[in-house]
Amino acid sequence: MAKTIDQHFDSLRETRVWRSIFRSGTGSSTLKRALAIQQNVFLHLFSTKVRTRMLSVSATWYLGTLTLGTFLILVATGIPLMLYYHPSAPQAYADTKDLQFVVSSGLFLRNLHRWSAHAMVFLVFAHMFKVFYRGAYRPPREFNWVIGVVLLLLTLLLSYTGYLLPWDQLAYWAITVGSNIASAVPVIGGKIHFLLLGGNAVNANALLRFYVLHCMILPLTAIFFVAIHFWRIRKDGGLYSHGSEPAVVRAQAASRSATEIPGGEKEAQ
Amino acid sequence: MAEETKRTDDVSRRQFFTKLGLGSLSIAAVGTAAFAYQYLEPNVLFEPSPVVNAGKPDRYPLDSVTLDVNSGIYIIHSEEGYFSLSAVCTHLGCLTAWKPELGIIACPCHGSKFSVSDQAKLKPGEKIEGPAPKPLPWKRIWLNDDGDLLVDRSTDVPAMARDSFVRV
Amino acid sequence: MADSKDFIAGVDSNAKKSPRRIVFVTRRTSAQVKVETEDQIQTFPEVLFRAAVAIQVLAILLIWIALFFNAPLEGLADPSHTPNPAKAPWYFLGLQEMLHYFPPVVAGVLVPGLVVMALIVIPYFKVNIEADGLFLKDRTRRLRIFYVVASLLSLFLLFFKVYAALVPTLIMAGLMLFAAQSSPQSRSAFRRYLAGRPLSYWVMTWFLFELIVLTAIGTFFRGPGWSFVWPWQGS
Repeated sequence: MAKTIDQHFDSLRETRVWRSIFRSGTGSSTLKRALAIQQNVFLHLFSTKVRTRMLSVSATWYLGTLTLGTFLILVATGIPLMLYYHPSAPQAYADTKDLQFVVSSGLFLRNLHRWSAHAMVFLVFAHMFKVFYRGAYRPPREFNWVIGVVLLLLTLLLSYTGYLLPWDQLAYWAITVGSNIASAVPVIGGKIHFLLLGGNAVNANALLRFYVLHCMILPLTAIFFVAIHFWRIRKDGGLYSHGSEPAVVRAQAASRSATEIPGGEKEAQ
Repeated sequence: MAEETKRTDDVSRRQFFTKLGLGSLSIAAVGTAAFAYQYLEPNVLFEPSPVVNAGKPDRYPLDSVTLDVNSGIYIIHSEEGYFSLSAVCTHLGCLTAWKPELGIIACPCHGSKFSVSDQAKLKPGEKIEGPAPKPLPWKRIWLNDDGDLLVDRSTDVPAMARDSFVRV
Repeated sequence: MADSKDFIAGVDSNAKKSPRRIVFVTRRTSAQVKVETEDQIQTFPEVLFRAAVAIQVLAILLIWIALFFNAPLEGLADPSHTPNPAKAPWYFLGLQEMLHYFPPVVAGVLVPGLVVMALIVIPYFKVNIEADGLFLKDRTRRLRIFYVVASLLSLFLLFFKVYAALVPTLIMAGLMLFAAQSSPQSRSAFRRYLAGRPLSYWVMTWFLFELIVLTAIGTFFRGPGWSFVWPWQGS
C-alpha cells in the first residue's frame, strides 16, 4: 500500500542518520517536550518548565523578546548589505545609491535595516522603563539591570556608528556634531575625539573605524553581553518569579502576618 | 454530547493548522531563497567591457602575431585574414607568450604549447603539447564603422570558420 | 553513645546521587519542607511559540513599513556645506535640544554621564527596593525636602530659560503634591494609586517625561538655526 507523506516522514525520522542529528525527536509527551529544550544548544538556556504567569503579556509586553527580534532582523539585513558596500569615501555614498536603485531587493533591505534600527532603540528604552516600573531590578537582579544599561549604551553606539555609513549630508554632519560633543569631555576629550575618528575630522579614517565598530566590534560585544543578560535571567529564577515585584512582596508579607497564630503550627514544636 | 463518527480522511484541527503553517512557511522560504539569490547576483559590474578596440588593421602586417597584454588577446594577420585568439592559457589561466623564434605560443606556467599557423595539421590555437585541456579559443573579430578592428572577448567563434576572419 | 542525643542523623543512602546528603534534625524542631506550588507549563511549545509569534508580528510590521517608506538619503557628504539645521539622530535630539541652553560640557558630557550613572546605581539604593508610597511615612520632613528640591530645580531651569524642561518639572511637582494630599484611603482610584508611588517612581517618571518632551521638541519644533518653528512650518 502506498505510504502517505506523513508516513514517509515518520520512517525518515526512524533512520540512523536522522537519529544521529536530532537525538530525541519530536513528540507531544512531556518528556519529548522537555528534551526538545534541554538537548538543544540554542534553547537549553531555558528551563524545561516555566511559571504560567510568565506568559502574560501584561508582565513584560514581550519587550525584551521584541528587542532581540529587532536585533536578529538587523543582523540578517546588515550582513547582506555588507556585500555591496565599500567603506571608503566617497564610494560609500555611490554604493548606498546603488543599493537603492540597482541591486535587486537592495532598497527593501536598506529600508528594513533602517526602520529596525529605529525600532530597536525605541524598544530598548521601552524595555528598560517596563523593567523599572515592574521593579524587576530588585535583588538578586541588580547586576542584570547594570548589564541592561550597558546594552542600552551599546545599542545607541551601534545606531550612531551605523548612521555615518551612507556618507550623505545627514550622516556626515550628525556624526560631526556628535563627535564634537565627545571632545567636550574635560582633559581627555580631545584625545577621545582623535581616537574615535582616527584623525581630526570626519574623513576616510573615521568611516573605516565606524564601519569596523558597527559591523564587528560592537555586534560581538553586544552578543557577549546579551548572553550574560539571558544567563542571569535564568539563574535569577526566570521571569516573574516570586519576590520580584513589590505587589507580590507585600501580599506575601500580609499573608504571613495574617496566618500567624501564637504557638500554632507555623512555630516550631 | 453527540458522538462523532470520524471518517478515515478527516483531518483534525491540529493537523490542519500544522499543514497550513508548514505550507506557508515553505512558500515564504522558497520566496526568500529566490529573492536572496537575485540579490546576490550583481546587476552592475564595475569591470572593463569585454569588447576591445584593436586599432586599424594596417597596424598588423601580414604573418604577424601581436599580443595585447592588457586585454589578453592575440591579433594574428594570416593569409586568410585577421583573427583573434585568447591569450589566456586554458590550463589554469596564465597569460601565454608568443615565441617568434619557435613560431608557437607557449605558456610559462606548465609548458603548454599552442600552434599559431595553419601547418602540421593543427589549426591555430590547438595544443601542440602540455597539460592544457582545450585549445586557445578564437574570439569574435569584426570591423566597426571607423574601420577599427574590434574583438569581443566574451564570444567564442569556431576555429578556421569563414566568419572568424576579418578580410580587408 | 548517650541515649539523650540532641539530634538524630539520617543519611541519604541513594548511591547514585552525589554528593551524599546528611540531615541533622534538632530535637525541638521538625523538618519542614516548603514546597513552592505554582502552575507551570512547558517551555516548548508554550513559551517558544509565543515568542516566535511576537517576533513574527514585529517582523511583519517592520517589513510592511520597509516596503512603503524609504530610508532617507540626502546629497553626498560635503564638508564645506553644513545643512541648516544639522540634526542628530532622533534619539540624540533631546540632548541636542539641551545643547541649545547649556554648554557642551554640561549638556553633552555632564548630564548624559550623570543620567547613566544614576541609572546604573538604581538597584543598589534601599529607597528603590522598598515600595512604599513616598509621602506615607515621615510626611512633613519629606514634603519639606520636596519643596526645596523642586524649587531649586525650577529656579535653575527658569534662570537658564529652559522652558522645555521647566514645564514637565512643574507638572510632575504638581502631581507629587497631589499625591502628598492623597492616601490609600482616598476615594478616587487615581489618588490611591498616586499615594502609593515610591520616590523611584517619581524620579523615573520625571526623567521619562523630560526625555519625551525634549526629544519631541528637537524633532518637530526646531528649524533652521535651531530656531523655534511650528511642526507644520517644515524645517
